[in-house]
Amino acid sequence: MIALDQISKSYDGVSRIIDNLSLEVLEGEILMVLGSSGCGKSTVLKMINRLIEPTEGRIFLDGKDIQHQDPIALRRSIGYVTQGIGLFPHLSIRENVSMVPRLLGWPEARINNRCRDLLELVHLSPEIHADRFPDELSGGQQQRVAVARALAADPAYLLMDEPFGALDAITRDSLQQEFLDLKQQLNKTIIFVTHDIVEAVTLGDRIAILHEGRLEQIGTSAEILENPATEFVQNLFAKSVKYWKDFKTIL
Amino acid sequence: MNNTPLPDYIIERLPEIWQRIGEHIFLTGISTLTAVLVGIPLSILAFYRPGLRGPLLGTVSILQTIPSLAMLVILLALFQKIGVIPAIVALILYALLPIVRNTLAALQGIAPEIIEAAQGIGMTEWQKMRLIRIPLGIPVIMAGIRTASVAGVGIATLAAFIGAGGLGEFINRGLALSNTRLIFLGAIPAALLALLVDFVLGYIEKVCDPKRNRHRSHRFHIGMKLSIALAPLFLLIPVFISFFPWSSQTTGSSEKNETKSINIVRIASKNFTEQIILAEMMAQMIEKKTQLSVERKFNLGGTIICHQALKRGEIDLYAEYTGTGLMAILKLPAINNPDEVYQRVSEEYRNRFNLIWLQPFGFNNTYTITVRKQDALRNQWEFISDLIPMSSKLVAGFSGEFQERPDGYPGFQEVYGFKFSKVHDLDPGLIYQALAKGSVDVIDGYLTDGRIPAYNLVSLKDDKKFFPPYHAAPVVREETLNAYPDLRMALAPLGSLIDNTTMRILNYEVNENKRDIPELVKEFLKNKGTL
Ligand SMILES: Nc1ncnc2c1ncn2[C@@H]1O[C@H](COP(=O)(O)OP(=O)(O)O)[C@@H](O)[C@H]1O
Ligand SMILES: [Mg+2]
Repeated sequence: MIALDQISKSYDGVSRIIDNLSLEVLEGEILMVLGSSGCGKSTVLKMINRLIEPTEGRIFLDGKDIQHQDPIALRRSIGYVTQGIGLFPHLSIRENVSMVPRLLGWPEARINNRCRDLLELVHLSPEIHADRFPDELSGGQQQRVAVARALAADPAYLLMDEPFGALDAITRDSLQQEFLDLKQQLNKTIIFVTHDIVEAVTLGDRIAILHEGRLEQIGTSAEILENPATEFVQNLFAKSVKYWKDFKTIL
Repeated sequence: MNNTPLPDYIIERLPEIWQRIGEHIFLTGISTLTAVLVGIPLSILAFYRPGLRGPLLGTVSILQTIPSLAMLVILLALFQKIGVIPAIVALILYALLPIVRNTLAALQGIAPEIIEAAQGIGMTEWQKMRLIRIPLGIPVIMAGIRTASVAGVGIATLAAFIGAGGLGEFINRGLALSNTRLIFLGAIPAALLALLVDFVLGYIEKVCDPKRNRHRSHRFHIGMKLSIALAPLFLLIPVFISFFPWSSQTTGSSEKNETKSINIVRIASKNFTEQIILAEMMAQMIEKKTQLSVERKFNLGGTIICHQALKRGEIDLYAEYTGTGLMAILKLPAINNPDEVYQRVSEEYRNRFNLIWLQPFGFNNTYTITVRKQDALRNQWEFISDLIPMSSKLVAGFSGEFQERPDGYPGFQEVYGFKFSKVHDLDPGLIYQALAKGSVDVIDGYLTDGRIPAYNLVSLKDDKKFFPPYHAAPVVREETLNAYPDLRMALAPLGSLIDNTTMRILNYEVNENKRDIPELVKEFLKNKGTL
């Protein structure tokens, strides 16, 4: 379980990028953090693996305050898919995927097996793709590698920052589908950041809606649709619902 | 000789060309390598301590702006030593800027999302450096090393100025003797070497480009890492060349060892024709009359360099001028009587430095006012004072040094009581030509300069005895004289052997007729019956 307790972040001491944010991510669920660009989604993720330190508030992982944990060890125990793919361009797919196990000092044989399994898990072929380099793969394939790399050391938590944000609609759809399958197999606690309502509704167990650094509402999609907590949330969903209706009429 | 056909000219000098190329590669290679070993860690440190970046880049940039000759002189003063060490240090200092600048740029230039990913998966600072920043920055770092090496090849030509060898040796000698062929003999191989270094390092840069080699075998990568680690061994090539029989030099100038060796006398000279002739003369006499062998360290950068080297025992003797010893070295006021000057410098040198002045060669290479012969005839100029009536119409061309020294133009005006209408600041090398061509009417000329007869010029007599005497004589370490008593005897025949006219002719033969110095000296000594 991940718990954020009254988290605030300010760079200049005046304006708050994140303002008094509290939320809990339950064991094994996917929490979608939904919000428009610049509302502070990435900041929230990075505070959880301590790439950014909050100005106020505390964050607990399995009940332990992460402030008291070694940031390096903490990060190695949390899978992280950065916004933008963030693969290491000078390393092969195999080396990218095995990076965390290698940092953790796993034996070579175990690393190799793990690497094979992971590539298969994300529907890549170890024979074909393992020795390629990131720029020799398509955007969708690169994104799978990024997910594989995040899963490499079998972390209990996964932070994903708009992983499918830069992909074309068709690739995104198929990756989302695969992701849902993956989620069944893995049973991990995942925070998934997106600016796409449809993605949030499709993939998430629950959705947290963020606006200008404040939490507008958190709940399942049904709860939010039925009972939008604020005007912002209402407008946000109304627009999408209208869009879907129009889309259906056209069809 | 200037009529030797070019191919023969080159072939004759091939062994020395090889040796100089070897020295050149060694100087450039060892200094670039050291600059890499110092510069990259410094850059990494500065990368982590942003407060250091400004000072580091500032320092290496300022070092870069110091003119190379000034840098050499400063280091010489610091190390109190001529030769390879200050030259290498100067080259290292110059190589630092491109290496530090590029390394810092490479480390800072990695895309932020890649760094964030590295940090996000739990790399430590050092792992980010080792696994991400350095490998991704290699092409930029390599480009810096390449820039440094190519520039180093160029700058290393100046190392000869302080007796560190290299291709600059030819250039220096050529400049001293105003011999264009010699200059090209150094300049062309240096330019080719720079191109070659640029090409080879460019090739290595390409070969090392990780992108090119991604799909090579594991063994290929191991092999490449190994060859990079062993690359510095290429510095052994020049050492190898230098020790190979083809480069064994009769002059023994390849002798790098600066510590005193048994039965070797090391003779130096400053970097102009007359000095080299005198040094060669002393060398031949010693070789002929004693069992000693001679090491020639000719063409050192100037008075201070020769004097320091002599004091420190890096050389055993060179020819110095009494006036220079008195005023430039001892910093004593001018004296007009030649014998008095000689007495004074002999005493002071012995007391202060344990250096002995032997008998002077005979000529007086002072500078004096020099004019065109036709003007002198027409106006009946014989003495400097004869210029007074026309002085307001005469344009002078003086070297910068002459205009500054108290025993130059400033003192001259006081003693003679007149000025010229205008003074142009001219390079000493161009002054005689400027006078001959009529650009100026009077110059400060050296009495023994071969260009005075060559260009039909005459020196006026110093009727007020203003210009101090500059009699040349061998100056030897006392220690050397004691160790090799034959030395004094061997050099004795050179005493009073050369008057002003003779010295002028010898200089003229070398500068204008491009005579080979050892040959000319041998001939001269034979004719005089001293050899
Ligand atoms: N280092 C920083 N200094 C100041 N402001 C920052 C910094 N990093 C991010 N911000 C600001 O914080 C806000 C939230 O950023 P981010 O969390 O990246 O948004 P997003 O929801 O698009 O992921 C943005 O307005 C951004 O400009
Ligand atoms: Mg973001």
